[in-house]
Amino acid sequence: MSTTLNPCKHLSDYKLRYGLKGFNMIQKWVKASPYRKTLMEKSKSEIPRCSFCCGYEGRLYICLICSSMSCSLSPESNHALLHTQNQIGHEIAVDIQRSELYCIACDDQVYDPDFDRAVMCEQIVGLGNGNLEGIRSNIKRKRLSSEAGLNSDFKNLKRVTVSGGGEWDHDRRISKSCFPVGLRGLNNLGNTCFMNSVLQALLHAPPFRNYFLSGRHNKDSCRKASNDRFCLSCDIEVIFSAVFSGDRAPYSPAQFLYSWWRLSENLACYEQQDAHEFFMSVLDRIHEKEGKTRNTSKDNPAGDCHCVVHRAFSGLLRSDVTCTTCGFTSTTYDPCVDISLDLNTNIDHTLHIASNKAQKSTDTGISTLTSCLDLFTRPEKLGSDQKLFCQNCQERHESVKQMSIRRLPLVLCLHVKRFEHSLARKASRKIDRHLQFPFSLDMTPYVSSSIVRKRFGNRIFAFEGDESDISTNFEVFAVITHSGMLESGHYVTYLRLNEQWYKCDDAWITEVEDEIVRSSQIYLVFYVQKPNEHKSGEDSGCHLRSASGESYKSVAGCC
Amino acid sequence: MSSPAENTQLASHLFDELLGSIIMDVSSECHRIARLGLDRNLDDEEEELKLSAQARARVADPSNSEANSKYVVDIFGQTHPPVATEIFDCMNCGRAIVAGRFAPHLEKCMGKGRKARVKSTRSSTAAAAHNR
Repeated sequence: MSTTLNPCKHLSDYKLRYGLKGFNMIQKWVKASPYRKTLMEKSKSEIPRCSFCCGYEGRLYICLICSSMSCSLSPESNHALLHTQNQIGHEIAVDIQRSELYCIACDDQVYDPDFDRAVMCEQIVGLGNGNLEGIRSNIKRKRLSSEAGLNSDFKNLKRVTVSGGGEWDHDRRISKSCFPVGLRGLNNLGNTCFMNSVLQALLHAPPFRNYFLSGRHNKDSCRKASNDRFCLSCDIEVIFSAVFSGDRAPYSPAQFLYSWWRLSENLACYEQQDAHEFFMSVLDRIHEKEGKTRNTSKDNPAGDCHCVVHRAFSGLLRSDVTCTTCGFTSTTYDPCVDISLDLNTNIDHTLHIASNKAQKSTDTGISTLTSCLDLFTRPEKLGSDQKLFCQNCQERHESVKQMSIRRLPLVLCLHVKRFEHSLARKASRKIDRHLQFPFSLDMTPYVSSSIVRKRFGNRIFAFEGDESDISTNFEVFAVITHSGMLESGHYVTYLRLNEQWYKCDDAWITEVEDEIVRSSQIYLVFYVQKPNEHKSGEDSGCHLRSASGESYKSVAGCC
Repeated sequence: MSSPAENTQLASHLFDELLGSIIMDVSSECHRIARLGLDRNLDDEEEELKLSAQARARVADPSNSEANSKYVVDIFGQTHPPVATEIFDCMNCGRAIVAGRFAPHLEKCMGKGRKARVKSTRSSTAAAAHNR
């Protein structure tokens, strides 16, 4: 897949001669709104017509040199081409229905960062101040396709491993006689598989594991600091020591259960629990404790918590609500420690079409985790009964909401909402549908900069978050599956250590093949960030230079 | 006045225009995504789907069924009874409890659940003596 954006000869020649003049000229005609295409309107009172035939059908182009309009209906009736024959050198034009650059000589759409920037400026200004969020100034030169470049580099590193030291090694599987440390069964204390499964995942979440194994939670200072007799961090540290001790007999996390029940009165009872609910509750308790001993709130005006829970799992979600009448967008940010995804039951058939194999018409397709993420970040039209007040219009109008991820956590926990609670029917049911999930997950399409960029037509422009050092590539290390029914099911955790999957079914630890994990019914999936091996300074092939060699000027706010 | 035939022709023509415009919109978007390298790697995604389908097929095959893991030997060569038999002392009341029955015991011991009574006397001493 080529990622170099080399302008055609005609475009480079045009830019050498005319620079940004043409781009600046068309700016006044840009008419934009988010989620819809960007049009160009030369005149507010007349419909656009071809200067040759006065026709208004087909594609219409404005010449960037003389601003004359011409149409292109078919290869036989191409007045735009006629224009280039009459006026030598007038090869670059703008498609007014899409605000896209077109090279008439090459008969192809072409792309230029300065042009995109010009259009973006108009879009930002035209849509009101509500659209400044996420559109930052273009200080450094941006490599738009650097993510794509990274993807192709990582293609060959599919089997990157997560080893005990938190480092990535590409070694072959270690011999059977030597099992990874930290692998130990957990006794079921009576319907406590929900607890065991979550504990196994936490025991192998790299930042968590490193924190507790290096003794960062100090039991003595913990006891002195607060009056609580029960501390889940202390208890979990005991579990870490026991599980990583080398003793392979199954361990009973009884004290942990007791402490948790004492600290979570409302959830304490002998019955099946929801693993996700338990997970959230545990993180909460650990945060509460750590938060007290670590955060002196005065140095944290932004409210960023540095406890182990937040350092490992905390991310930031962005929610944009756009008024469908004026395009004004209001943005809010919310921290999160996991992402709950609705099961997307819409089957993606496009992939079947893309492959040139004959598909049976009865092919039902598979739901995938990435399609659930697509659903999560899809623009959602809010109902007409949910009209929100638009600051720009000063009225209530229908709006569109869109979620995206502003900051990815180090450990990404994805929760598949398999348990449906119907208030109307006062019943809950479990969705058994199989969900495909990748072992390597690229979160690029779901981060705020990608979502906002897409909303503005994927223009070549710097969006907030592009410069982030955080890798968007994640690798799975733990999967919690649920089998059985809502009321009486069983949780099992699959752990991936040194490229080998292990099934942790309460006290029983066994080795399993990839396909067992792939075919299981996932409920919670844990991914850890793959470190960026290729840092800035490399040229991954996208040369977005304006022909005149000028560096990007800052466009904060408006031009 | 235009005849019905002319109207039909106009309507058809209008439809063609609209359809053509929509198709152009989609092509233009896809063209941009492809040229700027923003497209997702469809090959990888297809590979993943294929692996997933293969995995499910192989697992569904009855000849491949995985033994019920409660009766197998684990990777360390150990076997375990279905109900955990380790015995330890309850932190609440101090009594010796079998691990596999700890949760139901604890529920009654702590006074939760329907038939529970909070176990008294030794709970405070037991908790104080408990090593933290």
